[in-house]
Formats: sequence, structure tokens, C-alpha cells
Amino acid sequence: MPPRTRIERFLPLKPAALHILLALAEAPRHGYAIRGVVETRTDGDVRLWPATLYGTIRELKRGGLIEDAPAAAAPGDDSRRRYYQLTALGRQVLAAETERLRRLVRLAQRTYAASQG
Amino acid sequence: MSNDGSPESATRNGARLSVRWARWIFQRMARLALPASLHEEYGEEMRSAFATMAARAWETGGTLGVLRVLVLACMDLVRRAPAERDARRHAAGWPAPERGSAMTTAVRTLVHEARLAARSLAKRPAFTFVAAATLALGIGANVAIFTVVDSVLIRPLPYPRSDELVTIQHHAPGINLPTVENSAGTIELYKRFGRAFQELGAYTVDAQNLTGDIVPVRVQVLHVTPSLLHVLGVRAALGRVFAADDSAAGAPPVAMLTYTAWQSNFGGSRDVVGRRVHLNGVSTEIVGILPEHFVFPQRPKVHLILPLSIDQKDGFGAFGTRVIARLAPGADVAAAQREATALQPRITELFPDVTPDLLKRIGWSASVTSLRDAVVGDARTTLWVVMGAVGFLLLVACASVANLFLVRAEGRTRDVGVRLALGASARDIAAMHLSESLLLATVGGAWGLVVAYVAVHAIVAAGPANLPRLEDVRIDTTVIAFTVLVSVAAGVLFGVLPMRLRLRQPMSGLLSDGRGRTAGRDRQRLRKGMIVAQIALALMLLTGSGMLLRSFIRLRAADPGIEPQDAAAIGVSLGENPALASDPAGRTAEHAKQAIVYQRIMREVGQLPGVRAVGATNALPLDPEAMNGASLRIRSRPQADSAIPRVAMYVGVAGDYLQAIGTRVLRGRALDWSDVDHARPVALVNRTFEHQFLNDNALGEQIRFGDDSTWLTIVGIAEDVHTISIRNDVTPLAYLPITASVHGLHIATMQIVVRTSGEAASVVPTVRNAVRSAYPEVPITSARTMESVVDASMADTSFTVAILTIAAVVSLLLGAIGLYGVIGYVVTQRTREFGIRIALGAAPHAVRRMVLRQGLVLAGIGIVLGLAGAAAVTRSLRSLLYGVTTTDPVSFVVGSVVLVTVAAIAAYLPALRASAVSPSRALSEE
Repeated sequence: MPPRTRIERFLPLKPAALHILLALAEAPRHGYAIRGVVETRTDGDVRLWPATLYGTIRELKRGGLIEDAPAAAAPGDDSRRRYYQLTALGRQVLAAETERLRRLVRLAQRTYAASQG
Repeated sequence: MSNDGSPESATRNGARLSVRWARWIFQRMARLALPASLHEEYGEEMRSAFATMAARAWETGGTLGVLRVLVLACMDLVRRAPAERDARRHAAGWPAPERGSAMTTAVRTLVHEARLAARSLAKRPAFTFVAAATLALGIGANVAIFTVVDSVLIRPLPYPRSDELVTIQHHAPGINLPTVENSAGTIELYKRFGRAFQELGAYTVDAQNLTGDIVPVRVQVLHVTPSLLHVLGVRAALGRVFAADDSAAGAPPVAMLTYTAWQSNFGGSRDVVGRRVHLNGVSTEIVGILPEHFVFPQRPKVHLILPLSIDQKDGFGAFGTRVIARLAPGADVAAAQREATALQPRITELFPDVTPDLLKRIGWSASVTSLRDAVVGDARTTLWVVMGAVGFLLLVACASVANLFLVRAEGRTRDVGVRLALGASARDIAAMHLSESLLLATVGGAWGLVVAYVAVHAIVAAGPANLPRLEDVRIDTTVIAFTVLVSVAAGVLFGVLPMRLRLRQPMSGLLSDGRGRTAGRDRQRLRKGMIVAQIALALMLLTGSGMLLRSFIRLRAADPGIEPQDAAAIGVSLGENPALASDPAGRTAEHAKQAIVYQRIMREVGQLPGVRAVGATNALPLDPEAMNGASLRIRSRPQADSAIPRVAMYVGVAGDYLQAIGTRVLRGRALDWSDVDHARPVALVNRTFEHQFLNDNALGEQIRFGDDSTWLTIVGIAEDVHTISIRNDVTPLAYLPITASVHGLHIATMQIVVRTSGEAASVVPTVRNAVRSAYPEVPITSARTMESVVDASMADTSFTVAILTIAAVVSLLLGAIGLYGVIGYVVTQRTREFGIRIALGAAPHAVRRMVLRQGLVLAGIGIVLGLAGAAAVTRSLRSLLYGVTTTDPVSFVVGSVVLVTVAAIAAYLPALRASAVSPSRALSEE
């Protein structure tokens, strides 16, 4: 297991990075599919445009959070498309970020509830 | 899919097209914004993802949907760009940055500013779109015209040290020869005495039949002195160029091919050098090929060149030779001109029979012109006028956008105030505004380039006949640089004005009240100033285009001497038997044979339905290239040998030519087939000929062209016909039977002119088919209606008229929109006041009149300034006008009336709104 500091230096994740990691958490996907999943899950609130999408993908790959998945192309799929999947580090970072966010939300809810009396 | 052509597939095509366009733009933008490494890794995926997004968007939102996706994706690019290049990521534990991210602070600031500007512009898409489109129009028009100006006027001619090249021409107004070229005599003069000229080259123009083991063709030929090739700095692409002894008497005949002729007539085969061909029957060796991109000045369509020798014995009087000279080191055009002028009297030393008195009588003079000016010729005025017009258009566009910015500034005063209060320096604010206007100008410039690209293609395709060097016209780095320059200048121009104003305002004023009363008044004054400027510029354009339009109408209405309606001309060529070039008797016999063939063709054509009269000529009116001129002798009025001969033009005609072309015989008789059949030595002359040479009494006089032709008896006087162009005075012209034995009369190609009883254009194909089926071996060289021949002769004017009118209309529209905007804004500002007035009993029409008056006062000031400006500027149009003076009152008055009308409409709409203010609503608003 990598030291905690190695995980923590990626935090907090930028929204785009978080959404991409979440989209890859259950299955390897290609770039456009990631965009589709994110859009559906957020009811269209988050749309990843190409520069952000691939810029972030590259960043995540460089950081070792995701990697190319072995070609799992469905028939008829564009062969140019590359599939990405989470690495072990990626999963840990996602877990750590989720934990961080959970704590943050809990804090916010408590404080907010207190202020409402 | 098989259902091509169905609405579905049309839709698919539409989708494909707009998606492809969007993808292309996105790709360019991405390449600009993102580091190269990202492209290498993800470029293709990114593009394909974008294409999928765009295609989906098309399904739900059509082209607008695609556009929306494009805009959003591009904004994402801009947002993402700094992060992609940001070095700080490294410190945060992310992987090491690469070379693209090591940017200087300055660049980072720039990107930052651009991003802020983009965000701010994106917040107001309507404003941004209108402003960018306005700029695109103004910039695009300028870039398009600049492309032409650059290619035609600015770019040097494609010869080494081309600024040293000059042409020499002469003038003899005393004998009605505004411009003549050179003779052996003048060339000798400059060669022997000229110090300002390093080297002189000369050429004459010709057409010959090229035969041999290739398809026989008629080719354009230049006879050039070997020195001309040296003057122009030409090297052979293959083989050798002419040497001095190639032009010596008795030297074996040699020729060089131009690159295009080599490719098209000889298939570009390398063994063509050394081969023999026949030129007008003379066996000639091809010794070399000219380089691929080499063209002779003013003669782009030459196939082949032959060596020319200039012999002083040819005398002073035959001015068919053109001269191109290279200036000596240190000499300039003015010095060469001075020297040429000083040399003219010495002609009498070389030619004792030319007396100083004679030179004086004919008004003899020489002019030295830089070769570029000679090539460009009349197009210079046209192009600068058009460039000026689109320049005005750009100024109007900038004023419009500046106005838009000022309107926008109204809504942003508080925002700026907050920034200042938070510690932003005046420079920060200035940078913010400037970067916004520069970004907008960049977008406008990019679109403008697209506009220009389309426009340049349209201009080249339309090919205004008087524009030289059109083959050189293209968008190149100079043009791109010009676009950048214009865009930045425009951005600064419309960005700085509103900005200066804002910086002058006290901060408290900005914060305390969104409207900023004093500041608002300042801004209003500025906006009004802009409107006045726009109206003035629009009026200047309107006046100018009005004058040109009126000239054009006059030109069209002017009597060309013929009736172009319901007439058409079909060119047919029987070719020329080259063996007869130096055999006058054989030529006469050949012409007689050809006349019979032409006669048969014309009989055939005459029997076609809808054809009322058929005639033929070897040179159509208003088609100056084809005209032939020669020195004229009149039997009853002999001239001394020393005298400069009279010059007149002549054309060969057959059949009912005068009737077919639509002119008439004034006295005497017309020429008919029996004159042709019997080769009678007769001629018809035009009224100007009779007036100029024979005191209005030409019938029965005898004339001849050149010394070795037969005397021709004048049997009739024809009405004048404009031969060169409608602008030019009618020149003396003689009509000869095509069989007349006149040395320079070529009838290898004839224009068969038909007068039809209906639409000429519809008869043209019938005539063409009839000729083709009856004489399949006779090539048809052209088929035009006479109206198109007349139109072509006015192409220079129609081009200028078209561009100026477009510029005028667009600037009128921009001016009107601007006025509407300003008055509309004033109305909004004064809603409360109007409400009170109406509540107090003011009649709505009084309110209306008040607002209207405000608009018209602005328009009035603009018109006064515009009239003054127009009076100053329209002088430059003089050479383009015909039958209209540069102070043409009609153009001034009509231009002003149009502007007042448009201004009244633009002000009336807000005025209506003002009078409809409901007092209760107006008062409760604050």
C-alpha cells in the first residue's frame, strides 16, 4: 500500500477528475462514453467538453490514477477509441476523495443545522 | 445509401457539412490553444469525440445546435488551455511539466486576460455576435481588396531587381496618336545616346501557325531581342536562351518555348530541345524552354518566342516595337525621363528627313514609366478607389462596434467601480477592456479572412477585364499579416475610445449610481460623435457610388454606334496557310478561297430560323485587341516621305455586316458579296475618317494602307461605331472586303455576326450547331452575344460600381442601426421624463417630434460633414467617371436624401416608443 501522503497530494480532486474517476469505477470506458455516463448521472449538469475531458484524462494517466485498458472494443466500435480503467492508486485516491467529501458534507450539515437553530 | 436526392439524404448531407465545418474549426482552435503533446496523444480521439457530439447536436438542434456545441467546446478549450500549460501542477505532485508549460509570465498574463475577456464576451452572445460579424464584414472586405491590391500593385514583378525595369513610349497628339511605342529609330536613339539605360530589350507581338509532328495550332508569338531576355533576367529551364548572333541576318531560325506551351503542345518531353518545328512554314529549331513561372510583362499567354533584330534601316516611322529597359546603376525613372526628353531632338541627327519642325508640329515626346506602372495601367485608380471605399467601410464598422461597446459600458460602470475600489489599477482596467476588444477583433479578423477568401475567389472568377496580373492574386503571408494588422488596429480603435472615457470618471461616480449622470452624458456625446462620423462616411460612400452608378448608366445609355440587342458573334477559324506568309499573290488567292468557305457558312447560318441578317468581320467593335491599324495614304493628298504618316484602322468585312452589327450607311453604298467575290478594290469609311482626312467629302477618293497594297476607292460612308471602347473617341476606320489585297489583313479567324428576330442568346447554340454539323473541320473559337461584348468593354466600371455600391449600402445600414441604437437609448433614459410630459398633457405627436428631431439633428450634422468630405474625396474618381462631373449635384442631393430618409426611419421607431410611454408605468419605474 502506498503511503498516505502519496494519495493525499492528489486531493482535493478537480470536479472533472472526480467525475472521470467515478465513471471508470465500475467499468473501463472510452473517452466519449465517460462523457455520456457523467452527463446522464448528473442529469446534464456536468458536461465534459473535449479539451477538459482529454486534458484531465492525460493528467490522471500521468499521475498514475488511470491506465489504458486492454482493448475491449465492442463490435462496430471505432478502433481509434482507447479504453481507460482505474489503477489501484486511482481507486485509493477516489476512496480518499470520497471520504474527504463525506467529512466535508457532514461538517457542513452539522454547522448548517446548528445555524438554523 | 441508395436514396440519394431524397430529403433525408439532403438532411444527412447538411449534417455532414456543418459537422465537418465545426470539426475543422475546432481542430484549428485546439491546435492553437493546447500544447502539441496533448495533440499527439489525444488529438484524434478528441476530434472524433467532438464530431460525435456535433453529430448528436445536429440531430436535436440542427446547424444551430452544432454551432452551440462548437462555441461551448471552444470556450472549454480556452478555459482549459492555461491548466494544460501550467507549471504549478508540478509542485502539487502532478507529473513534471513539459516544454510547452515553461511560459513566461507575460504570456501567462496574456492567456489569463484572454480567458477573462472570452468569459466576459461569452456572457453576452448577442452583443459579441453582432460586433464580431460587423468587424468580419469590414475586415473581410478590406482583406479581399487588399489581396488584389497587393498582388496587382504592391508585389514586385517577378523579375530580378524589377524596380530597375522601365518601358519607353512616345506621344504624338498632333496626329491623333496619344501613345505610340518604339521604332527602330527610337531604339537606336536610346542605344546610342542613352546613359540612363543599362540595357534595352525590345519585342513585337505576332501569331503564327505551329506545325511539325504535333497537332497544328495557332500560337501567340513574341519576337524578342536577345537583350530582352537578359534585361528580364531569364535563364532557360532547359536548353539555352537566345544569343546575340541568333538575331543576326542569315542566322539559322531558332525558337524557345514557354513552359506552358512545352507542357501542353509537346507533352513536356525533354527531347524537345533540338527538335525542329514549322512556324508559318519555316523550319525552326527549338533551342530552349523558358522557366515554369516566367511570364512576359503584359503578355501572359505567349507560347513561343523568336529572336528579333532591330535594324536602323527600318527607319523612324514604324512604331510596332515595345521596349523594356533596365536602368543604369544610380539612375531612377525621373532621371531616365529627363534624359529621354533631352534626347528627342537628336532624332534629327539619326534621320535627316525628320525635321525639328515636324517633331514640334506633331507634339512629339517620350515618356519613361516604371514597368510595374505600365503593367498596372488604369487598374491603379480603380483599385485605390475601391480600397478607399472598403477602408471607409471598416471605419464605419469600427464606429459601430465602438458604439456597441459604449452601450455595453452603460451596464458595466458599477462592475468597473467595484474593481477599482478593490484595488485594481487603472492599467488593469485598461488591459481588461483592451483585451476584450482585441479578442473581439481577432475573432472578427478570423471570420473576415473567411469572408475575404470567398470574396477573392469571386473577384478572380468575375475577372474584371482591366485588372492585370489576376493570375497572381492569392491570399499569402503578406495578406495574413495585413489581416492581423487591420484587426489589431480596429481592435485598438474601437477599444480605446470607450476606455479613455471610463478612466476619466471619478470612482465615486461609478459606484454611487449605475447610470453615472455626468459620465453618462460624456458617453452619450461620444456615441453621438460616432454616429455623426458614421453618417458622414456613409454619405461619402453613397455620393461616390452614386457618381459611378450614374457614369455606368450613362455608359450603358451611350450610343456605341451599334445595336447589341438581338445580335450575336460566333468566331470561326479557317487557319492560315503558313507557306503563303511571304507570297502576296498566293495569299490573295488563298483569301479568295477562304472567302468562299466563309460565304457558304454564312449562307447556311442565314437560312436558320430567327436569323435576320448575317455578316462577318475580322475584328468586332469594342474589342480593341483585334483591331488593326496602319499608315494611310490618300491618293489625292500625297505626303512628303519625311512626314509622319496618317494612321487609321481597318477591318475586313463580308456579307451584310453593317446591318448585322446594327449600324448604317450614311451615303454611297454598303459592301456586298460581289465586292468580296470579285475582290473589288473598294472601301467604306466611317464618318470620323471622312471628317478627319477628307473634309467630309470622301466618296470616290482613293486610299491605301501600307505602301505595297492596292489603291481602294471609297464607295460609301458609314455611321461612326466605337471601336476601342465607349469612353474613347471614335477613331478613323475603314471597312474593306475580306478579299482586298491589303498586306496586314488577316482573315484566318472571322467573327460571324447574326442579327436575330428574337433573343440572341437562344439563337447562339443553333448557329453553333449548324456550323459544327455542316463544317466539322472548322473550329469555333468563341460564341458571344453582342451585349456580352459590350458588357466586357465596361467591366472596369461595373467592378468599381459593384464594390462601391456594396460598401455604401452596408455602411448605410450600419449607420442606420447605430442611429437607431443611440436614439433608442436616449428614449430609454428619458422614459420618466416623457411619462411626466405626457401626464402633464403633452400630445404624443409632440413627444414623437422631439425625439425625431434629435435623430435628424445628428443626421444633419453628419450629412454636412459628409458632403464636405465627399467633395474632397470624389475628385479621385475623375478618371472613372463618364459624362458625370466630380461635383455632380444629383449624386450629392440623392445621397443626402437617401440618408435623411433612412435616418428618419431609424429615429422614428424609437420616437414611436417614446410617445407610447404610459405615464403611470414610467413614474413607478424607479
